[in-house]
Amino acid sequence: MGSVSSMDKSLEKINYVKLLMFLFAFILITLLLITTLILPNIKKYRSARREYNQALVHKTRVQSVLTQRERELKQLKLKNRKIFDSFSHKFSSQEFVSFANQFFDKVTLKEIKQSKYTDEFKVYELNVTSSLKTPVEFYKFLNGLNHYQNIIQADFPIDLKSNGDMIYSLFKIKVYRLVPKKR
Amino acid sequence: MVSYSFIEPRPKPLLSAFSKIWIVFILFVSTLLIAFGIFLLVKINSYKNSASMTKKNRIELEHKITQRDSYMEYLLRQKSLGEEIYTRNTLLKDSMKNLFDLVPDKITLDRVIIKKDSLIIYGMAPTKDTFNFLLSAPLKSIFSTSNTMFYLTKNGWYNFVSTNKITTTDGFSE
Repeated sequence: MGSVSSMDKSLEKINYVKLLMFLFAFILITLLLITTLILPNIKKYRSARREYNQALVHKTRVQSVLTQRERELKQLKLKNRKIFDSFSHKFSSQEFVSFANQFFDKVTLKEIKQSKYTDEFKVYELNVTSSLKTPVEFYKFLNGLNHYQNIIQADFPIDLKSNGDMIYSLFKIKVYRLVPKKR
Repeated sequence: MVSYSFIEPRPKPLLSAFSKIWIVFILFVSTLLIAFGIFLLVKINSYKNSASMTKKNRIELEHKITQRDSYMEYLLRQKSLGEEIYTRNTLLKDSMKNLFDLVPDKITLDRVIIKKDSLIIYGMAPTKDTFNFLLSAPLKSIFSTSNTMFYLTKNGWYNFVSTNKITTTDGFSE
C-alpha cells in the first residue's frame, strides 16, 4: 500500500477542476439539506415550542384558579362548619325534647308533616307544647335554638297562655335537613 | 508474455486521496446536518406530545373547577338558608321581648297568640284608659289595624281582647 500511496500525487498536485467540482458538490448538498431538512423543521420546532409554552401558561393559570377555589372552599367549610354539620345531622325527637327541657317543663313533641322546601332541602314541621315560668325562658330557648345540632326554626303560630304561676305554650318548629344527593 | 514496461504494474486506486478526503468531509457534514434534522424532528414531536398532555391536563383542571364551583354554590345555599333561619329565630326573640317589654305592670296578660301577620292579646286592665294609654297606643304604632273589646268583670276590672294585624308582606317582626 505504501507504494500505492507514494504513487498518488493528488494531494501534492491539486487538480483545481476537481477541487471546484467537490466544492460545488459540497455547497449543493449542504444547501439542499439545510433548505429541505433543517429550515422547515426549525420553523416547526419554534411553532411547536411556542404552542407548548402557551399551553403551559394556560394550564398554570387554570391551576392557580383551581388552587384559589380550593382555598376559598376550605375557608367556607371552616367558617360555616356548624351550619353544614347541622343540615346533615339526623333529627332526633328525644334529643330535642331533652334540649328543650333545659328551658321548659313538660315538653311534648308531635310531628305535623314532612315536605320539600326546595329540591335540596326537606322540612319537618312539629308542634311543641311546654310549660314555662317566665317569657325569659322562651327567649333563652330561641337563643339556644341557634346553637342546636340541627337547623331549627321556631315558627308561628305561638300561643302562650297563663295558667296559674306557669305559662302554657304551644308553638311550631321547622327542622330543615338536606335531601341526600343522588350519585 | 512480453513486458513493455520497466516497472511492475500496480493497481490504480479507484479514488484518489484528494477525492476520498472530500467525500469523507461531505459525508461527515451531511451526517451532522441529518442528525441535527432528526434531533429537531424528535424535539418537535416531544413538544407536540407535551402540549397535548398539558392541554388534556388543563381540561381536567377546568372540569375540576366547574365541580368545585357547583359544590361551592351548593354550600353557599346551605349557608344562606342556615343564616336566614338563625336570623328569623333572633328576630322572633327580639319581637317577643319587645312585646312583653311593652306591657306595663298594671296590665295582666292571660293569653298571647302570635301569628305571622297578627297578634291577639287577652288580658285584664284596671280601667279602659289604662289599657288605651299604656298598651293600645304603642300597639297602634306597630300594627296596621288594632281593635280592642272590653268586658267588665265582677271586681270592676276590664277583661280585654286586643286584635292587631299587619298588612305588610314582612309579617310580624316588630
